[in-house]
Amino acid sequence: MRWKPFATCAAGVIAVLAASAPLWAHHSFGVVYDEKKPVTLTGVISKIEWTNPHSFLFIDVKDADGKVTTWSFEGYPPTVLYRTGWKRDVTMKAGDNVTVFGWQARAGGPHAHARQVTFANGTKKYFGPAPGTGDGGAAPQIAPPPAN
Amino acid sequence: MRKLFVMAAMVATAAAMAAALPATLAAQETHATANIPRAADGHPDLTGVWQGGSNRIGTWEDTNSGDGPLGESGPITPYAVKGPQPKPPYQAWAAAKVVEEYNKRGIDEPMVKCLPPGVPRMTLMGLFPMQIVQTPKTIVMLFEAFHVFRIIPIGPDVKHPDDLDPSYMGDSIGHWEGDTLVVDVTGFNDKTWLSGVGTIHSEKLHVVEKFTRVDENTIVYEDTVEDPEVLTGPWTRHGTIMLRPGTRIREYECAENNVDEQRYQDLKKDPSLYERKPPDAPK
Repeated sequence: MRWKPFATCAAGVIAVLAASAPLWAHHSFGVVYDEKKPVTLTGVISKIEWTNPHSFLFIDVKDADGKVTTWSFEGYPPTVLYRTGWKRDVTMKAGDNVTVFGWQARAGGPHAHARQVTFANGTKKYFGPAPGTGDGGAAPQIAPPPAN
Repeated sequence: MRKLFVMAAMVATAAAMAAALPATLAAQETHATANIPRAADGHPDLTGVWQGGSNRIGTWEDTNSGDGPLGESGPITPYAVKGPQPKPPYQAWAAAKVVEEYNKRGIDEPMVKCLPPGVPRMTLMGLFPMQIVQTPKTIVMLFEAFHVFRIIPIGPDVKHPDDLDPSYMGDSIGHWEGDTLVVDVTGFNDKTWLSGVGTIHSEKLHVVEKFTRVDENTIVYEDTVEDPEVLTGPWTRHGTIMLRPGTRIREYECAENNVDEQRYQDLKKDPSLYERKPPDAPK
């Protein structure tokens, strides 16, 4: 039994079934942050704001010369985090050493949108959404005009 | 004898393939015998906590822990809608406005001010749960996001009030057509977006939503949007709304730390920072 082409076919069907316009668009992402500017930073958490409409994670990042910059990383609202297994002050807290992957603000500076946090023990969790889910997507929401 | 063996092998393979395919093909059989929870008056009972814009079966964590852009995970309902849904058929002048906003990446997003998203946008906002409480004469929809609620009087003779002020969420009334709850919404203001970035509408917006609970886990959903000011004709989409056992509505107070309003004002001083540039900027 040749499974490989079948698995590809099933995956294709699932992709078609799942395809839909991003219906829970994250409005901040595309306006404020640039998906062409990925950043991965490691540092010690100085503060976490479990607030609406966005949580914020602040980490102190030390550069090669020992200079410390505090980076802010924007994330999901706390209710969204709690529903995917985050526990306030347990999963992540001030003093923890973490690596954060995300995308920098268009205006530059030590501000980014978080996607994934890697904890000291190597486990990872998503702190924020993927890019392109809130700035309009790949094309404007307009039906093509009817062919005449 | 050999022919028989080959045929048996083919049947076994076909059966194995059918068993492994997503269960869409089995949907026709399961629909007729599905266990639909019903209220005392015989209508399907929509009471529960739900996630709009999803087609996955299971708890919130099981169905929203994927690695893809929407985070979807878990088994797909047999009632999942296939393929992308149509986009709104805008009149040329309105389409130009949608494109203009698209090229600004949605910097005029009304939700930035923590304002209600309107209908049908709220129904399909899958990031947050909604709770439906069904009684014979009133159905209430409670949305975690923005504290929005919809109170829907139900009955064959229910009419919209004649003293409506334009509102973000409009005025909803409902009636049953067989097992389908049909909700008629009017009385909108023009301050929300229908769906994606820049999808403007006028106060003449009229929405009809249909909710059909087809089994324990799935509401089959359809919405039709009409707006003679901005659209060339009706715009209909299909989707599913999924039960989320164990989820409760939590508090989402958008105003407590909303930095976006100020950030967007600051960004507007230099549009070159965020505006789409050709070839990414359609005309």
